[in-house]
Amino acid sequence: MEAINNLLGGSMVPDVLFYVFAALTLLCGVLVVANPFSRSPVTSAMFLVLTIISMAGLFVLLRAFFLAAVQIIVYAGAVIVLFLFVIMLLDLKEEQRRKIKMFGFVGGLVSVGAIVVISLKALGTTNPGANLTAPQLEGGTNALGQLLFKQYVLPFEVVSVLLLVAMVGVILLSKKDLK
Amino acid sequence: MQVGLEHYLVVSFLLFALGLLGVVMRRNLLVIYMSLELMLNAANLAPVPGRS
Repeated sequence: MEAINNLLGGSMVPDVLFYVFAALTLLCGVLVVANPFSRSPVTSAMFLVLTIISMAGLFVLLRAFFLAAVQIIVYAGAVIVLFLFVIMLLDLKEEQRRKIKMFGFVGGLVSVGAIVVISLKALGTTNPGANLTAPQLEGGTNALGQLLFKQYVLPFEVVSVLLLVAMVGVILLSKKDLK
Repeated sequence: MQVGLEHYLVVSFLLFALGLLGVVMRRNLLVIYMSLELMLNAANLAPVPGRS
């Protein structure tokens, strides 16, 4: 932790690291969506792992250490294993033969490009960081736990009940013959 | 130029747009879901730099 703080304290190193991690994130994101060499979902899942790990690097640069750890544990661990299980269980032979349609590619590119231009213009005209105050909590687990179990305890419990309902619902729905 | 809030927001926008492009473009349900995960991650990245 001390070493990371010393590293982030310098002026030049965090900027270079930001550009490295941001470029890595965007490059791997492109390879998730439109890989020119392979159409297989397995390669998409693997590049999704790389995207998530480089995004955890961005979180470390922002000193959100807990978020970085959760990012790696939950996404790179649980979600990707889930994806790979689904890929293994389903038969995905016909996916390799399927081509990306030209109309969908061009139309999607145009509409998404329009959305990017609009949001970047909005970012340029407004000044989003103008009335930011000093940070209330650090990235560690102590402040987060205090906040989660004191100020936001009701939403936290509601979310946990929601997850429990989803789990029971999945078990009920996926059971073939319910006695 | 000092890396600030705007840089992270630009990365978040671009990642969100990539996920949206994947949802629109790809035909496979699983890859569409992966693109949705990409969009969720982009939305996760956006509020974090305002904190520090």
